[in-house]
Amino acid sequence: MAKVIVDGIPVEVPNGSSVLQACEAAGKEIPRFCYHDKLSVAGNCRMCMVEITGARKPLVSSCSHPVMEGMHVTTDSETIRTARRSTMELLLINHPLDCPICDQGGECDLQDQAVGYGRDCSRYTDEKRAVVDKYMGPLIRTVMTRCIQCTRCIRFTNEIAGTAELGGIYRGTSLEITPFIEQSLVSELSGNLIDVCPVGALTSKPTAFHYRSWELKNTDSIDVVDAVGTNIMLQIRGNEVMRVLPRKNDDVNEEWLSDKGRFSLDGLKRRRLDRPWIKKNGKLVEASWTETIQYVADKLKTVAADRIGAIAGDLCDAESMLALKHLVNGLGSANTDCRQDNAYYDISERGNYVFNSSIAGIEDADALLVIGSFPRQEAPVLNARIRKRWLSLTEQFPIAYIGELPDDPTYKIDHLGESPELINELLAGNHAFVDILKNAKRPMIILGHGALIRPDSKVIFEKTMALANAIGAVSEDWNGFNILHHAASRVAGLDLGFIPQGQGKDVAAMINGGVDVLWMLGADEVDISTLSPECFVIYQGHHGERAASRADVILPGATYTEKSGTYVNTEGRVQRSFRAICPPGEAKEEWSVICSIGQALAVEQPYQNLETLRQYMTEVNPVFAQCGLVKNSVAVSVGDGAQGNFEKQPLTAVISDYFLTNSISRASLTMNECSKLRYAPSAEAAE
Amino acid sequence: MTTFGTRLHTMFKGRLVGKDADGRSYYESRKQNRLGGGELRHERWVIYKKGEDPSAVPPEWWVWLHHGADAAVPVSKRHPWQASYHANATGTAKAYHPQGSDYDGGKRAKATGDYESWSPEE
Repeated sequence: MAKVIVDGIPVEVPNGSSVLQACEAAGKEIPRFCYHDKLSVAGNCRMCMVEITGARKPLVSSCSHPVMEGMHVTTDSETIRTARRSTMELLLINHPLDCPICDQGGECDLQDQAVGYGRDCSRYTDEKRAVVDKYMGPLIRTVMTRCIQCTRCIRFTNEIAGTAELGGIYRGTSLEITPFIEQSLVSELSGNLIDVCPVGALTSKPTAFHYRSWELKNTDSIDVVDAVGTNIMLQIRGNEVMRVLPRKNDDVNEEWLSDKGRFSLDGLKRRRLDRPWIKKNGKLVEASWTETIQYVADKLKTVAADRIGAIAGDLCDAESMLALKHLVNGLGSANTDCRQDNAYYDISERGNYVFNSSIAGIEDADALLVIGSFPRQEAPVLNARIRKRWLSLTEQFPIAYIGELPDDPTYKIDHLGESPELINELLAGNHAFVDILKNAKRPMIILGHGALIRPDSKVIFEKTMALANAIGAVSEDWNGFNILHHAASRVAGLDLGFIPQGQGKDVAAMINGGVDVLWMLGADEVDISTLSPECFVIYQGHHGERAASRADVILPGATYTEKSGTYVNTEGRVQRSFRAICPPGEAKEEWSVICSIGQALAVEQPYQNLETLRQYMTEVNPVFAQCGLVKNSVAVSVGDGAQGNFEKQPLTAVISDYFLTNSISRASLTMNECSKLRYAPSAEAAE
Repeated sequence: MTTFGTRLHTMFKGRLVGKDADGRSYYESRKQNRLGGGELRHERWVIYKKGEDPSAVPPEWWVWLHHGADAAVPVSKRHPWQASYHANATGTAKAYHPQGSDYDGGKRAKATGDYESWSPEE
């Protein structure tokens, strides 16, 4: 630790910190453009000037100057102000005065700091620089004349996204930021460029000119497009979500958000189920809630208890799943399943189906084996964390993948192959990579759903567990056995026991004639083509897709923005979101409709409102008692008697189209355009 | 229309001053019996047609009625660009309803924040 005195305030900061960090520790705000917490230091904007007493050149840029013991720093003096004013004047020479038509207006760093350090008139009479706008795909709008060359975007794509798509060409005042070739950005984290850009050079294209930042109200929420549980802020105007921004949470997402979470929000306004429908004489007709609830209750009374089944989808909140499980169990059926893809989990212990190392824990790991998963598509923000660990210079981080590679993983990997037989080879110690894992102090294994949705997934799971034990991935203070989920509701479903118990039927059995009444809670990804025409389908959800067209009764529900819900991310972290807007039309939160139907059926229910439902939830599983924390069992016990043989076919990637994985993103025009550009680029030439 | 008392009062105390274009009669009292504007002056009143309220008085006579002028402004003083005067239509069939009002069919043009609902034909 080094002791530094900032404006007379003594602070202690770690050795190697910058002067800017010391100033922030002392509570002094230093203006900056190029410096960003999570990016490397560039030191090229010269706005963060401070004075260091006794230095040969007293004015230094604080972001790039390391602290020294006993340093005296002044953050505000006439010299400093003059220096910052000059910097500002230089930046404004080529910056257009188009704040009134700029989307960054109101949240622009340059605008804010010009209030403090700008001159009231210009002394510049030469011609201003103009830069041609660059094409960066359907998500990012560019007005490159506004660029102040802070190079944050270049550093972001190089360091965080790992796609190295942006760079600078030409020198000095002619420097231009460019993607070099005219094509859409390929990073799944490209939306963060908008947040990173301090001015209006990079702004959101789908919502260009739709809102002003000061018109928006914020609601804290949790992202549901993947299982990372990214902390987000929903910014609303009226009854409409205008923008989604990441919230800072170093344990989960740092300050990043995936593109799907950020840009699929126009899907919230299309294909919405906004009124109950009942099928009469083979045709769906509109109905009232009273009629619909009575209709469903009457139907449920007529069938045998074990012929009732329920499937929960990937976007469900824990509340609605618990309510539905309680109803179905209360009617005497054990046919509940939250695994639309029929994945195999060992739910005897919580450690067997969550990401035990935790996302922040990736930074402590020193070797990684990924089996049947492609984190870049399944969890882009988590993949950025793996890349961050891989980039760190202190220790090597060897990474190996087993399974199909649909794309560049954004870091250097050792691709062992695609066959599950490789797990046996590693287990037998016949492979070079097993020595790396064995020599590592904290090795990690990530088992993805590419390996868990196969017929032989039980064998793969147990052998991987045995491998984890063999390489010492599970010890007293480190648990390196991880399951990577990509469905936001999955871990909560497993925690609540929303899976067939006892004689209960799983998804495949239910679809193939196992039930007479099938309750689909937002289950859009199940293949229902083999469902018998006699089966009575109740679809409860927010978007009309195939399942809704097949349904006999539709109960309109709320999306994640329209209800307060509990979600458990892949780490097993319980997080709660708040309601930002009202559901459209007559749609209602799912749990309240289930509660009403339960009342109509006279099923005894231990809850009446959201509060008592959540209380009941903590009784069902105590992990729900505490939000925001991860408490996983450290010891994972498994016998070495993993039996059985692997199937021949290679491990395939579980996501074929990153942009279209759930009903919200499939309804989104932006996501459809992105998908078309990414996966069928020949059909659509760059504009 | 007037009440019986008003008719008696008009008959015994009133003097017809004139009629407007629609035929409403304007009266003032024969004696200066009202204190107003710091002096004793004639009381002025109007006999409406059936079902009318005070907003029915045209501006030419309104100013006389409220002691703003000694005589009503003649209709000939109207300019060609002046819109013709209408009484307040609130509560009648001719009342104004904004776009999308339920009294007006409930249909409005698309606006931000609207959503597209799903229907089985899709």
